[in-house]
Amino acid sequence: MSLPTATSETSIPTRHTSEKGRTVMRSFFDDSEKVLESLDGLTSEHFSPLVSEKGKLGLSRPSLSYWKDAWRRLKKNRQAIVSLYIVVGLVLFTLAGPLVWTKDASLQTLGRISEAPSLASKQVKVLPELTPYQPLFAEGFPAEPAKRVYPEDLPAPAGFRLLSDASTQAVRLSWSPVTGATGYRIYRGTYAPLEGSLGLPIATLDGGHAISVQDLYSLTPGTLHYAIVALSGDEESPKFASLEVKLEETLALSAALKIDPKAEAGQTLSMPVHPLGTDYLGRDLLARLMKGARISLFIGFVAPFFSLLIGVLIGGISGYFGGKVDAWIMRFTDFVLALPFLLFMILFKVAFGAGPGEDGIGPMLIAMVALSWTGPARLTRGQILQLRESEFVQASRLLGAKPMYLIIRHLLPNTLGVILVSLTFAIPSAIFTEAFLSFIGMGVVPPTPSWGSMCNDGIQIFLTHPHEFIFPALLISITVLAFNLLGDGLRDALDPKMRSVS
Amino acid sequence: MNPQAILEIRDLKKHFEVGKGKTLKAVDGIQLTIKENEIVGLVGESGCGKSTLGRTLVGLYDKTSGEVIYRGNRMPTRFTASDFKRYSREIQMIFQDPYSSLNPRMTIREIIAEGPMIHGLWTRDQVDEKVGFWLKRVGLHPDHMSRYPHEFSGGQRQRIGIARALALEPKLVVCDEPISALDVSVQAQVVNLLGELKETLGLTLLFIAHDLSMVRFVSDRMAVMYLGQMVELGPSDEVYFRPRHPYTQSLVASNPEADPKRERERNRKPLQGEIPSPINLKPGCRFAGRCPKAISACQTIDPVWREIEPGHFAACHGFDPQHQTGFQAQ
Amino acid sequence: MSLTTATSQQNPILDVRDLRVEFDTYGGVVKAVRGVNFAVAPGKTLAIVGESGCGKSVTVQSLMGLIPTPPGRITSGSVKFQGREILGLAPKDANQIRGKEIGMIFQDPMTSLNPTMTVGKQIVETLRYHENITPEEGRKRAIELLEQVQIPEPASRVDAYPFQFSGGMRQRVMIAMAIACNPKLLIADEPTTALDVTVQAQILNLMKRLQRERGMSIILITHDLGVVAQMADDVAVMYAGQVVEYGSVDSIFFHSSHPYTLGLRSAMPGHEESKKGEPKKKLKPIEGSPPDLFHPPKGCGYAARCPYAMKACAEHMPPLWELESGHGSRCWLHHEAASQQAPAELFRGKMISPQALGAR
Repeated sequence: MSLPTATSETSIPTRHTSEKGRTVMRSFFDDSEKVLESLDGLTSEHFSPLVSEKGKLGLSRPSLSYWKDAWRRLKKNRQAIVSLYIVVGLVLFTLAGPLVWTKDASLQTLGRISEAPSLASKQVKVLPELTPYQPLFAEGFPAEPAKRVYPEDLPAPAGFRLLSDASTQAVRLSWSPVTGATGYRIYRGTYAPLEGSLGLPIATLDGGHAISVQDLYSLTPGTLHYAIVALSGDEESPKFASLEVKLEETLALSAALKIDPKAEAGQTLSMPVHPLGTDYLGRDLLARLMKGARISLFIGFVAPFFSLLIGVLIGGISGYFGGKVDAWIMRFTDFVLALPFLLFMILFKVAFGAGPGEDGIGPMLIAMVALSWTGPARLTRGQILQLRESEFVQASRLLGAKPMYLIIRHLLPNTLGVILVSLTFAIPSAIFTEAFLSFIGMGVVPPTPSWGSMCNDGIQIFLTHPHEFIFPALLISITVLAFNLLGDGLRDALDPKMRSVS
Repeated sequence: MNPQAILEIRDLKKHFEVGKGKTLKAVDGIQLTIKENEIVGLVGESGCGKSTLGRTLVGLYDKTSGEVIYRGNRMPTRFTASDFKRYSREIQMIFQDPYSSLNPRMTIREIIAEGPMIHGLWTRDQVDEKVGFWLKRVGLHPDHMSRYPHEFSGGQRQRIGIARALALEPKLVVCDEPISALDVSVQAQVVNLLGELKETLGLTLLFIAHDLSMVRFVSDRMAVMYLGQMVELGPSDEVYFRPRHPYTQSLVASNPEADPKRERERNRKPLQGEIPSPINLKPGCRFAGRCPKAISACQTIDPVWREIEPGHFAACHGFDPQHQTGFQAQ
Repeated sequence: MSLTTATSQQNPILDVRDLRVEFDTYGGVVKAVRGVNFAVAPGKTLAIVGESGCGKSVTVQSLMGLIPTPPGRITSGSVKFQGREILGLAPKDANQIRGKEIGMIFQDPMTSLNPTMTVGKQIVETLRYHENITPEEGRKRAIELLEQVQIPEPASRVDAYPFQFSGGMRQRVMIAMAIACNPKLLIADEPTTALDVTVQAQILNLMKRLQRERGMSIILITHDLGVVAQMADDVAVMYAGQVVEYGSVDSIFFHSSHPYTLGLRSAMPGHEESKKGEPKKKLKPIEGSPPDLFHPPKGCGYAARCPYAMKACAEHMPPLWELESGHGSRCWLHHEAASQQAPAELFRGKMISPQALGAR
């Protein structure tokens, strides 16, 4: 808004002489009009005494306890409420998720490793079991030709065709034998073969009478181009025959039965959807994340809980009794603080070890609790020390309160706020610590999933299949951020500066 | 012992160790007798030890030496919880900071009822009625008992503190700067309330504050403290209008009055220097460094507490016949 | 003619008109200052008296441009320093005035000085910002200033840190910093509230002496009427964001014309000896509490607590009446129809009725 500029006119407040000859001094920016009106409209009735409830305390708003007041304040903080929703969502994801998304997290589908996330369900044809392959030979055809023929003179094999329906299980090809050939070489490529560039050699067959080949190598749906040349000795004929083979996604009956027990050959089956893709062993990422969530959040809640329990106890004793007790406990706390965390983790791991079949959570929990109770201890001690000297505690002493009463009634309730906030910050810290440890291999033991270990797995093929890293990393980030913001909001909401009077 | 005296303080000392052999002599030899149903005011500037004295009296601090005798009973040097329980029905305290003297997690009802409930004086059913009674007594509405301290203003909280102290019906109430944290208009409310309660309940008050005018107004007798020692004691008006100790004289001279004419007429020569550190004090009169009337004896010999006029005491070499030469007594 | 008092006929060095300041807070908009008018005569002291929450600190902070403008807002008003408008100045121009023409000292000397810089450095910092001098000259000036504010051994104390000074000494250092560039106006926001009464006397004495020597005007904010009586030439009494009474110190104390001023004076213990045998006089407190500045009352802010309130007071904002030259009061009791309600003690001595003014 623009401030009024000073002009010579406005530098002098105007005097208004109202009808009744009264002189009123008004500053220029007063509510001139309103004052004018009200002055002239006033009667002596307006000047009779005001009967009002002066001095009555207008406490019209309903009384709020400390917690209700804090909750009210928390609700106003949008960031905190969003974080609260996220946290609740995460808990639901962890607990109720597996009930909704029932895929097995440890099922490995080696045919579908590192699949990208997709919501589309592939339609796959179920094929009957593959019959065993028997190489075919032309009857009556000599393996070695009677007369040596120059390779340039060898024609391309005729009748290059599929022997049976091609599928991703196997491609079987056949051709007519070439007179004078000592063998054949088959190439495969994704592009149509050209003179001089036929593709990758996938088979070399001995004997001019060989007329079939089976290709099992890494067959993925798509178009493949085969080429075949006749051989004379080791040299190839420059003339080649080519065949384009289109492969569809198919599934053998035995594999199909695992997915749907009622599958039959010839049916078109809907492949299970992996909305977040699969990992390097073909395990559904979403199910794995849920299981990992359980582990990560379990550690994330349990470790801080116990470390807080121990910390509050120790800090409370230290703060309340003071003197020598306090001094000794604090020196011990300093000692624990000075221990290098990573070193100790490794020590614990070695000492308690996680044998095959164990998940490594136990030792990690113990180590985390044993090394992180110092923070809450110091915090609690500080609070108690401060509160101990506050006037309402002194007043209570003077009223005859015993120490136990003081602790329970006065000291602890006023420390709860700090403890709660401390807890809310300790959780993301613990989650992150666990993730980090698992990432460097010092945490949970495979195959137990945890977000950190999943990140570790994912980072190795990040350049080709980023989704395996991104999803667990994203979840870690969101969780840690949500808890931190929630902790911030809680701390602000529980601040002793409360609603003012009016 | 004076039969009318409710409290007798004899040579009370409270020293704090502040590390490395240094001692802070916060209270260093106080003698005071408080009669029943009187208001004794205690004034002094920062560091004089008046608050420490108040807290040591009621037992919140342990005594270093000296005695406090309440109605003929010598109070313990160090209070245990049961000592507090015993004395809490006789001596209570009103605290300075209305914002930290009430537990923010407790309702007003719980705060006021805390004392009586600890002592088992009230039954559960009586609580509401009794709390309501006390709230009305201090000028608040009984409906307020379900509310929390943060919903009240400073003056109201101070009243709640008064109600809490009085719920146990003590005889002696030590008021530790009860109005310093309040606005001027609210101070008057609280002071009036205290005066009225003193009359109706027959209380004895020790009123500790640094506002000289207010203390003079409120109290019957006034004591002046400087660096842990009492320098003057007497009827309030006597001490204020005819101060005998040089420090009291400077204090009164520095105290501004709400009267422009008198302020203009006043010959103002403010006191030089500042209050020295109370740690490791030298012998002799503590005020010697700043005293406009100091003589050589003041630097080395501790002044003696003597009665100058009936009921009016001071500790100053100026009243010692031995040192009269070179000293202009007033 | 603006609201200066009869004690000075010169142009005011500072002229504040209808200043209004608001703050955005969690709970809504607080109208902290709701139309404040006053003026400061050159070489004189104006005391702004009021209790906590009345807006006195916000007023002077907005004069100096110290109100942070995201939550704060100056919604209207004009502040003229030596005839020149200083509200809404660009920061560059404001910086020329702040510290050089107008100096300010704050309440708490503990927190107002930078604990990591020597006091000499802090003084020199101010000097070098506003004047083009060398560090050596600055140091010399700093020592001179410390001597002027009566700090013993200034030559060695100039290199001391704030924590090495006592409260009173720190306040002197603040004063030295504030007067370093010879300002025409010194604003002191409760400079002695945190100090002992003997030290307060020293500081107030110092301020008066400096004012005499330099012809400096002072705005002194306080809640202590004794300090006002001691220091002020003119007084502005503030309540609920407005100046409710304004005048020379004698008019305010001896011809109080606003119920709030009267209430403040009655709430303080007097300085008369009580006669023997007479029962002790009681103080007359002001009941109730200040109004909620989130929703300030429509009419007079003091109406809820005023023992003389009338119906008009609750409905309409009273205008600013000029009672005698330079004595103003914002109260409906000065309306001629209200004269029956006005208590006798409200206009002690000579009261000039508004009608008589019309003849001037």
